[in-house]
Amino acid sequence: MIKIPSSILREIYDHMEASYPHECCGLMVGTSNAGDRVVHAARRCKNLNTDRAHDRYDMDPMCWLRTEREFESTAWSIIGIYHSHPDHPSRASQTDTDAALGAGMVDYSYVIVSVQKGTVASAQSWVLNESEKKFYEESLVVDDEGEGDRK
Amino acid sequence: MTVTVKIPTPLRPVTGGLGELKVDGATVGDVLRQLDAQYKGFAERVFDANGVKRFINVYVNEDNIRDKKNMETELKAGDTISILPSIAGGCTGCAASLLAVAATSLG
Repeated sequence: MIKIPSSILREIYDHMEASYPHECCGLMVGTSNAGDRVVHAARRCKNLNTDRAHDRYDMDPMCWLRTEREFESTAWSIIGIYHSHPDHPSRASQTDTDAALGAGMVDYSYVIVSVQKGTVASAQSWVLNESEKKFYEESLVVDDEGEGDRK
Repeated sequence: MTVTVKIPTPLRPVTGGLGELKVDGATVGDVLRQLDAQYKGFAERVFDANGVKRFINVYVNEDNIRDKKNMETELKAGDTISILPSIAGGCTGCAASLLAVAATSLG
């Protein structure tokens, strides 16, 4: 399960709608405990794929590095990745699966958002099962209880 | 010379949970080979037949070794090597998947 405060989810949606018709991506930072993740912050990352930005993203690696450094002295760490699927469903694609397997991204939430004609239409969160080589959906809960903990 | 190696969370099960290591070596290859010798399973996660895996990035300070000399990239004392997951994906193939679903539904 992943819990995201509504204000952070709105930040993520704003990023996606502003990036439409291109895919956008970013990182979610927070706490993780036995598969339950709580998001406390999100950071926008650059999509370096300029040839096929409408259906591909390649996150700027420096974004991961900068975000890790920003939070290394806190109790929070990178717990998930978000990206948009312009005019397509919020389901994990084979491209998403292959890339996540290649990078060994177990125990991370992948929030995928469908943006239809420039407006967010649906959001789902996925977790990689490495042995089965596929993503399974997890619960995405909009939760404002931890809102006061935000930076 | 001694450098610091930052280990990303997905690789930490291999390093016994350690996120930062101090290793001696003159090149990136020296350091990564030492880590492979020390931590079983390290090489499988980081390398394939062509060198560093496509979905892994290795940085020395702010530089991607793919823009330098790859494994032969030279190090100086105090450098930081960061091993980072390469995050990518997208909806390539989604249209084909939708067509397949539609075709199945239509029987």
